[in-house]
Amino acid sequence: MRFLVVMFKEILDNLRDQQTVFYALLFGPVLIPLIIGGSIIVSLKQLSIDFDEVTTLAVENAESAPNLMEFLYSNNIDVESAPDDPISAVRAGDIPLVLKIMPGFAEALRAGKPAPLTLFENEGDKKSTKQARKITALLQSYGRTINALRSQHRGIDSNVFESLEINREDVSRDGAGGQLLASLLPFLLIVSMVMGGFYLAVDTTAGERERQSLEPLLSLPVKRRELVLGKFGATLCFVTLSCILTSISIFIMFRFFPIELLGGGLNFDAATLFKAFLVASPLIAFISAVLITVSAFTRSSKEAQTYLGILMVIPMAPFFILQFVNIRNVLHSMPIPMLSQYQLLEKIVIGDIIPPLYVALSVTGTLICTVILLALAIRLYTRDRILM
Amino acid sequence: MIEAKQLKKSFAKPGSSKKHEMVLAVRDVSFSAADGQVTGLLGPNGAGKSTTLRMLATLVKPDDGSAHIDGFDVSGDVLSVRQQLGFMPHNAGIYPRLTAHENISYYAKLCGLSRNESNKRVDELIEQLTMQSFANRRAAGFSQGQRTKVALARALVHRPQTLMLDEPTNGLDVMATRGLRDIIRELAKQGHCVLFSSHIMQEVSALCDHIAIISDGHIAIADSLEGIKHQTGEDDLEDAFVRAIGETP
Repeated sequence: MRFLVVMFKEILDNLRDQQTVFYALLFGPVLIPLIIGGSIIVSLKQLSIDFDEVTTLAVENAESAPNLMEFLYSNNIDVESAPDDPISAVRAGDIPLVLKIMPGFAEALRAGKPAPLTLFENEGDKKSTKQARKITALLQSYGRTINALRSQHRGIDSNVFESLEINREDVSRDGAGGQLLASLLPFLLIVSMVMGGFYLAVDTTAGERERQSLEPLLSLPVKRRELVLGKFGATLCFVTLSCILTSISIFIMFRFFPIELLGGGLNFDAATLFKAFLVASPLIAFISAVLITVSAFTRSSKEAQTYLGILMVIPMAPFFILQFVNIRNVLHSMPIPMLSQYQLLEKIVIGDIIPPLYVALSVTGTLICTVILLALAIRLYTRDRILM
Repeated sequence: MIEAKQLKKSFAKPGSSKKHEMVLAVRDVSFSAADGQVTGLLGPNGAGKSTTLRMLATLVKPDDGSAHIDGFDVSGDVLSVRQQLGFMPHNAGIYPRLTAHENISYYAKLCGLSRNESNKRVDELIEQLTMQSFANRRAAGFSQGQRTKVALARALVHRPQTLMLDEPTNGLDVMATRGLRDIIRELAKQGHCVLFSSHIMQEVSALCDHIAIISDGHIAIADSLEGIKHQTGEDDLEDAFVRAIGETP
């Protein structure tokens, strides 16, 4: 049980290292979810339009279109008068939009001609384009009503002008934003696990060689296996802690950002996150083993950081691959560490039922890879080269 | 008790573009070091001192030849060898974020001492090596002398019969060097076998009962100080050393 001695020493040693603690407890679990998750949620919120929300719209020359104003008012738009110079006001971002009722609007309407309106918007301003989309949709709906009335007035069925009937139905459970958000959970969990163990793994292996404390350590009457397992255990503790903290911070983050408006079906409640943590937990061992093994290969912490920096891309790879590729036969990807957890975690968030076989394959595959990596690390520690 | 017979070791040349270019670090090293004596392994830089000690400490496997520490084979029964051996490499290699006490007690626990035994033993060593003033400070700011003491205490923590010190006086000031010499003499008096490597002549002549001069990967001469002077016909160890490694003084 001497590996416990190594493990506790490495934990104590690294808890005194500000860099390790910062990356394990703050950067991975708090900052990354806030930066990446927060920005994705905010941008999704900006893209989605809420027609029930009351907004104000500046209208120039409102008195010449009283019926339109009435229509807008009944659709949750409060009309206010426009500033003197609408173009520069919109350009400066003082107000998002200005609707200008052009001269001759009322006459054209009465004469059955297209009635001119101008909408001043700022394409460079997200808030302005979002409101413009909302107002355009409302105006088009108003236009269709007038079309119908005009054709009725002339004794024509208004359907004559509708040559196509296009029905679009989104049959996905969650919509586009939901898919992105669902993959956010595995992404954040895996990145934080890697960040959590990264510096400790480098410090306890390559760092130990660099400080030249490895040579006396290896001359002690302790099996190399115990040393490697101790260092693995310490990494495991930090990765676990990082993963738990990340789950908590994701939970808190989604309390503040209501996701109902993204098309529902997504679950970020405590039970879901707990399930997600359990499914992801074999990865804790796998990632710790990867970190320990790779840094055991390297000669210095600088070299280790370079290699692991490249390896950092791997946890992100499934995130990007799954954005572009639809893996049809999920069963084949289940024994692959990382990829399987990505898919399972997405399913958990979406609320799909997961066959036990999937979980069994995922756990077994991941743990087998972990054991192979650890055996490799122990082998590396028994070679002469570890000291060179 | 250390007995080395015809040890040989070569390494892949570091930084070499050719794949199997080897450097012969140790070609033929045979010597013995007895209990109750301080034995000096004296040689110029790059002669193979550290490689020899690493082979004896079971850190690297000899390509050829054999060595026994207190009767245990360094290529076979490595855990028994390590149990008998306290090894202090030429860089102290202590953990900067741990205190002196924690550094020593980590090794005590790794060697299998219980918490009580370990605390007792560490306190004993702290007193023996007069480390009381810095025992509970973190090692990051220690002087070379303090670091050497911590490393020596670590090497002694499991009461090894045989002790190997690789250039322990490097970077020590006069007083610290004298203090270390006293400690080494005391250990030998208690019956330990102490092997001490150095490239400093005065160091070896002041301390060692038996001297093995290593040069270019082999033992040029191994005898007592008087014996070496007699064999080489030189009156001064420095001249004797130069003659032993094949140069004319």
